[in-house]
Parts: sequence; C-alpha cells; structure tokens
Amino acid sequence: MYKYNDFDEAFVRERVAQFSAQVARRIDGSLSEEEFRPLRLMNGLYLQLHAYMLRVAVPYGTLNSRQMRQLAYIAERCDKGYGHFTTRQNIQYNWPKLPDVPDMLSALADVEMHAIQTSGNTIRNVTSDHFAGAAADEIEDPRPWAELIRQWSTDHPEFQFLPRKFKIAVTGSPNDRAVVKAHDIGLRMIRDENGEAGFEVIVGGGLGRTPMEGKVIRPFLPKADLLPYLEAIVSVYNLLGRRDNKYKARIKITVHENGIETVRAMVEEEFLLRRTAFGGADQALFSQISDAFRAPAFSVGPTVAYDSAHAGDPVFRAWADTNLARHRNPDYAIVTISLKKPGATPGDATAAQMRVMADLAEEFGHDELRVSHEQNIVLPHVHRANLPALHARLIAADLATANIGLVSDIIACPGMDYCALATARSIPVAQEIATRFEELRLAHDIGPLKIKISGCINACGHHHVGHIGILGLDRAGVENYQITLGGDGTQDFAIGERAGPGFAYDEIVPAIERLLLAYLDLRDGQEETFLDAYRRLGPGPFKAALYPEAERGRKHAA
Amino acid sequence: MPHDPMIHPVADRVAGLNARYRNHAAQAVLERALTDPHVGRIALVSSFGAESVVLLHMLSVIDRSAPVLFIDTQMLFPETLSYQAEVATALGLTDVRTIRARPEAVAARDPEGLLHQADTDACCDLRKTEPLERALADFDAWITGRKRFQGATRATLDFFENEGDRRIKVNPLAHWAPQDVQDYMINNRLPRHPLVARGYPSIGCAPCTSRVAPGEDPRAGRWRDAEKEECGIHFINGKVVRGPLPKEEEQPMNMLVTDQGFGKDDWTNGFVSAEQIGAPADAPMLAVDLPSDTDPASLAGLLQGIALIRVEFPSFADGRGFTLARRLRLMGFNGRLRARGHVLADQYAMARRAGFDEVEISPELTARQPWEQWQARAGWQSHDYQSRLRGTA
Ligand code: SF4
Ligand code: SF4
Repeated sequence: MYKYNDFDEAFVRERVAQFSAQVARRIDGSLSEEEFRPLRLMNGLYLQLHAYMLRVAVPYGTLNSRQMRQLAYIAERCDKGYGHFTTRQNIQYNWPKLPDVPDMLSALADVEMHAIQTSGNTIRNVTSDHFAGAAADEIEDPRPWAELIRQWSTDHPEFQFLPRKFKIAVTGSPNDRAVVKAHDIGLRMIRDENGEAGFEVIVGGGLGRTPMEGKVIRPFLPKADLLPYLEAIVSVYNLLGRRDNKYKARIKITVHENGIETVRAMVEEEFLLRRTAFGGADQALFSQISDAFRAPAFSVGPTVAYDSAHAGDPVFRAWADTNLARHRNPDYAIVTISLKKPGATPGDATAAQMRVMADLAEEFGHDELRVSHEQNIVLPHVHRANLPALHARLIAADLATANIGLVSDIIACPGMDYCALATARSIPVAQEIATRFEELRLAHDIGPLKIKISGCINACGHHHVGHIGILGLDRAGVENYQITLGGDGTQDFAIGERAGPGFAYDEIVPAIERLLLAYLDLRDGQEETFLDAYRRLGPGPFKAALYPEAERGRKHAA
Repeated sequence: MPHDPMIHPVADRVAGLNARYRNHAAQAVLERALTDPHVGRIALVSSFGAESVVLLHMLSVIDRSAPVLFIDTQMLFPETLSYQAEVATALGLTDVRTIRARPEAVAARDPEGLLHQADTDACCDLRKTEPLERALADFDAWITGRKRFQGATRATLDFFENEGDRRIKVNPLAHWAPQDVQDYMINNRLPRHPLVARGYPSIGCAPCTSRVAPGEDPRAGRWRDAEKEECGIHFINGKVVRGPLPKEEEQPMNMLVTDQGFGKDDWTNGFVSAEQIGAPADAPMLAVDLPSDTDPASLAGLLQGIALIRVEFPSFADGRGFTLARRLRLMGFNGRLRARGHVLADQYAMARRAGFDEVEISPELTARQPWEQWQARAGWQSHDYQSRLRGTA
C-alpha cells in the first residue's frame, strides 16, 4: 500500500495548519461566508441540513487497519459514534462542529489521510476498482495511476476553481467496476494490438439531472502521457466550460454543446504544449509509487477448513456464495462485508464495527481494506483457510449479512434525512425494500440485482445505472418516486429508461414487489438475471406489472 | 437560456426600477424589492432604533425569512438589545443576523472603547461601516429606513439608489412624513423602543445619542455638537464612497502584492486592451489588460513586445485566470504577469504557481486581508506537487 513520504506528510500537515487558520479567520470575520465557502469545500467541509458534514477522502478506496481504526476513533470523538461510507468511496461524518474540524483533520493526518478536494469545484478524490490488485481479470493494478493522479490533482494551481466539480475514475480491468463512463474523465486500461497496456480515455460522462454516457476522446493513450493529457483536458475545460449556469457547467455539457470533435481537437493541441512541461519526473515518481503497491506475499497452505465449512455449514455457505469474489490467487478470495443489513442505513458503520473490520484485515487480510462505491467494505486478500474464522467474527459483530449483489444490497444516497438538496427520503425506502424481501425470503431466488435510489435529481445514488433505479421527487409537497429500468454501470453501460408515472411513498415498495414477482414469472430459467430478462423482453411486460390498472384500460392516477 | 437581469449595470437597473415603481406605496416597493429579479439577493439593514419596527413589520408580513442585518456596535443601549430580541420574536423574523466588528480590529483600534470621543468617523468605520460592508458582500441590494424628511442630505432620496455601481440601496419609506411613521405604528400596534418615551426620538449608540428638547429636530441628539450627520454607512446624493468622508486628495489606490509584501503600483504607462495591441515593434513598453474570457490562442504571435499582462479576476471563483496564466507562460511569454481583481490571500500560492508574478487588489480587499494573510501563502514554492511531477523542484 502507498505510504506517505516526507513530502506528502509535510503537505498534509501544512494544509491542516492553513485550514485551521482559515477557520479562525472565518470565526473572527476576516473571511466572509461567501469567501470561506470554497475554502471549506476544498477541505471537505459541507454545510448540510442539520449541521456541517465532513467528507474524508479514501483515495481509490484503499485503507489499512490503522486508518480504519482512526476513522472509528473520529466517529466516536467528533461524531455520534458512526460514519457513513459513500458511493464516492469516501467516508462522511454528519455531525462535526466547526471548531472541532481542525482536530479531526489532524487526527486524519496522523494516519496519512485528509479531506482535501472531496468537495468544491475542483478535481475530486480519484476513484477506482474496489477489487484492484486482487481481481482475476485485471491487466494492471490501477491504483498506482490513481495515486499519481491524486498527487497531480492535489492543490493543482490551475484547477482549484473550475466551472464545476470534476471526477476521475480509473479501472485496470476490461470489466468495469468503477463506472468509468459516468465520470468527467474515465480511464480504462486496455491493450493495443502489440499487447502494450495503455488507457482508453473517456470524457464527459455523468449522471445528475442530465445523465450522459462518456465519449471516447482518445482510444489509446500511452501510459507515460497520462498526466499531460489529463492536464490538457482539464485546462481546455477550465476555459471553455460554462460559468453562467451551474446546471450547464459540467464537462458533459461542454462536450455536448461543442461536440466531441471540437473538444478533441483543442485537447490534442493543448496536449502538445503541455507535454513539453513534463520531463519524465512524473514517470520516475510513478515507478516509486508502483513499488508501494506490489502484491502482498500470499501465503500458501491447504484450504480444507474452507471446503469443510462450505460443505457442512449452510449459513457459511450462503454467505460464501454471495459475498466472495474470485481472487487471482486460487487459494485466496476477495471478501465483501455488507453494510446493507436489511433495515439499517446503507453504508453506515459504527465505530465498533469499523474496529472489527480493521482487526480482521490485520489478522486475515494482509492489512488491507477497501471501500466500494456500492457502499460496502472489501477485504481484498483473504486466504480461504481463514474464511470460516472470519465469518464467525463477522456474525458476532452483526456484519455477516449475505446479500452482496442481491436485492437488498441497495445503494441509497443520504436523501431527506441528511441532505439539504433532497426532495424525498431515500434511506427509508431502501430499508423497507430490504426488509420486505427479507420477509418474502426471495432474495436468493431473484439473484443478481442492483437497486439504486437517489433523493433528488442530482443522482448521488446513481439511480440511472441501477437495474432498477428509484428517483425521489417532490410533487406539490408530496414525495413521489419515479422508477427507471435497465440501467447498467459496467462496461455494457446503459442509462435506465423511465417506466412511467411516479409512485407515492407508500406505493413504492409494493410496486417493486410486483415488478420482481413479474420477473420471476417471466424469466427464462434461474440463470437469466433481471437485467438479462429486461434486455430480452423490453420494458413492456415490466411496465404492465408496475401499472396493472393502466393495463386494465383505466387511467392510472399519478 | 433565460435572460438574467443581473447582468445589467447597477445604474441602469436603478433607473429602470425608479421609473417602474415611482408611484408605488412603501409596502409595494418593499414587496417588489424582495422579489424583482433586477434587484437580486437582498437584506434589510436595521438598527432596531426608534422607527425601525415599521419596516421590520412590513417585511415580516411579506417574508419572515428574509435576512435582517442588525449592526451591534457594542456601544448600543442595553434597551436596544432587549428591544431587538422582543421585536424579532414578536414579528417572527427567522433570519436576524447580528453584525459586529472583528474582535481583533476592536482590540487594535479601540481597545478602551473610547475612540468615539477622539474620532467618531473612525469609530463608526470600525463598528458600523466595515462590519456592514463585510456582511453586504453576500448581497446585491439592501433595504434601509431612510426618509427624505430626515435631513438636508436626504431631501432628494429615491426609492432605489445606485451605491457605487456595486449594489442597490432600497428606501421604501423615502417619501414618508413623520406622521406616517407614527400612524403606522399605532395602527399596527407595534412595540415601541423603550427609550422613545424617555426623550430619545432617534436612537443610535449610547455615547453618541442624547435627548432632544421638544420641538428640536429629532436627529439633533445624534452626534450632538459634531459636524457629523451621517455615520458613514449612508452617503451623499447617490455618489457613494465607502468609509469616512473622502478627502479629495486621497484617491484610494489599489495594492500590489508580491512575495516581498504590499507595495504601490510602479507601472505608470497605462494599459491597453487586447484589441489595441499594435504591431509588436512600435510599442516596447506595452501593458495589456485581459478579461478572464480571453481565448489565449487569439494572442499567438502578439506576445513579443508586451512588457506586462494583467489578467482580470472578476470573482475569486472564476478560475480561468489561472489557466490563462499557465497558457501564456507555455506560449513563451516572459514579461510581467499580474492577476488583478477579486483574488484571495488563499489563492496567492496558486497564482504564483500558475505563472503570475504579482496580484493587484482593491483597497477594500487590502483592508480585509492584510499582508500577514498573504504572507502565510508566500512560501508558494514549498509543498508543491506540481514541481515534483515536472522535475522542477
Ligand atoms: S441525490 Fe440529491 S438528495 Fe441524494 S445526496 Fe445527492 S443531492 Fe442529496
Ligand atoms: S455612533 Fe458613535 S459610538 Fe456608535 S459607532 Fe458611531 S461614533 Fe462610535
């Protein structure tokens, strides 16, 4: 794992000192709230519905046990004893007090962490594949590249006041687990015809009120050109992006309005200029960074403990079959710990749970943890022999929910419960859907399914790319939930289609139930997933299940 | 895109607003001011003095959540403070913001609280004008209770005034007579400031307000014996200059910030716009002003003879200038490069790293962000990822 060098360490300390001074200047009045706002945002501090919210960066989602324990400590000291893991692979604390924030930041700096650029109109925390470095299908570990981008984008003097926020995602595998087509810039590692690895560069993707699939701006970029190329894109955007209308300021609109060809021509021209400014120092730095990400020394040993537990213990088997993923080393597995216990808030973990996960990573997982954009925690390297013991400890900590990838593994944004922009609740909807299917005991029968819920049109819950997406709106003071169908955030990227009129709060769970029961009837055997069935049959039969009255020829009252 | 009225200059909007609402009543003017898109973000500024309750009441009827700025000079009568709380509760105002001088400013300039005896202008600057100016930075317009009858300096007051081309000042009660104020308070059964009954018809700070004799001008009790009539917040016949009454010879100067500190601008040859850049040879000492929306490509081949380029920052949030600077450097410009406008001390390191040599700021910004705050970022060469990545560390 990447370890801060003296430079990184000094940098973060310096930032804490700067921000502490800015907080003091805000309190004494030398900074107006308007002027303080972008400065606090650059340091991850938001003003929310009830209080400030601090968003802490977990760069490319990677943590060690010491860092996880510190997150637990901060949750206890400065928050209400829990933290919320987000779809941006970050952790958020919802109740800090302004004067406490400098202390929180220095507690983070103690474990090589920070909240820099987790908000504001700047390049945000880089996200990546949560299985990076462990997945069987990977060309190269994307995290060294993500770390290089982190260093390049941190405090980049040109890009702290962009027209709008800017998100970059990197994946090292052709199977996209980082939703790269929904980012301002997506980088997908591929090989060219000579077998050389490089990046497919995608630009202008995004969800939000105008969902757009990213477009390929450079089909193959040699790895060494990464930083100057990124710099070319962002500087073209900085001058060309709209600043007159916040809703038209993202690069997806710049690309849409100017056309990808024009943007590409400008970027390529700028790239030639920018490339002269990088003399190879970035590549030297990269090779140091890469060394830090070398795979751990995998242990060798029999896996009989796993095999016998799998054969003899049905609870273990159910968990193993849903929560484990294939590791590149066949004796190992990737463990996903679900933070989606039915009825709980998706993505929340208590301080005690964070400590248990840290302990397990230290004892069984080569000291590594990941935060996934699906709001779960991943232990990327666990020897199979250790899985039964690990599972028992998860049960004791109430973390053994066996639902990864199933109906109750729902992504939900904070919604009306925390977010000032929300137009509807999203967490309770997730909780009720999960609880309902728990009662019906249908989760395993339904199989792989991604439900994603956003509490407003800003789409932080990624509803557009949910197989079933739910968008909570406010219709004349009453919550109203729209359903989209068929979205997909992987390499087969698709934006979901709106199914029809929205549902009231108390109608949404029954509607989802009708939809999924219909799927069970319609599918072509157990093997056909919801998404496959939708793709085969089209929206017709699913809409019929959602709107039975309309089916009977009566007008559905929206 | 819908048309945004705020792009018109303040003067034009003020003229339009005065024409449109000339014949409206106070209440209607206030209501429009709170909603007319030509006005923008607006706050009511109130002293919670003898007559303030009238406007506060009107406001509460229209929108209780509209921001009200209360300037607490920390020299007020205790009665004013309790009256302030009483009125805010009675009217259900939900966004009363108390505005005060910065504690270190008071500590530095009026540690004993006696400045008002030596220099009322300086005291009002410290305790009213500057705090209010800071608070108003977030607004496009503000509402006051000034009336024409209040003094010779206010005799021609309009509903809408242009304040220094930066903000609109709205005076819904401009045309009211003293009796109108009394009637309104009686008709609406509004609570009175307790000091009115004790002989203070106009109430400001305790040290600067005295009783007036019956028949005397009600404002005669303010700054009695001094030539002062206005406290520095309100200005004379629309031609507004902030702060103490200007002394003719002292034009406030912009400040130049460099690594060495604050200094005067040493460039005396003036500036031209980008369109005026002539053939490079004939103007060896040319200085050029660039707006933030300049396309740098349009300057290709023209950079040779230019000594100084000044890039405008209309707002600190407009980061185009940083990329413009870097671009000009990449295009080979070696002359002086200056950022001018709304640049914050916290952006100094960014400006230097992006290729600027210096920053030019207004007197207002200079006052608010003294050199120490810039100095904190003057070590811009350390802790810089970019120079590591480019091998220039
Ligand atoms: S989608 Fe809307 S409600 Fe949900 S977190 Fe984002 S802004 Fe808030
Ligand atoms: S009114 Fe008097 S005490 Fe109040 S600020 Fe002005 S000079 Fe100072």
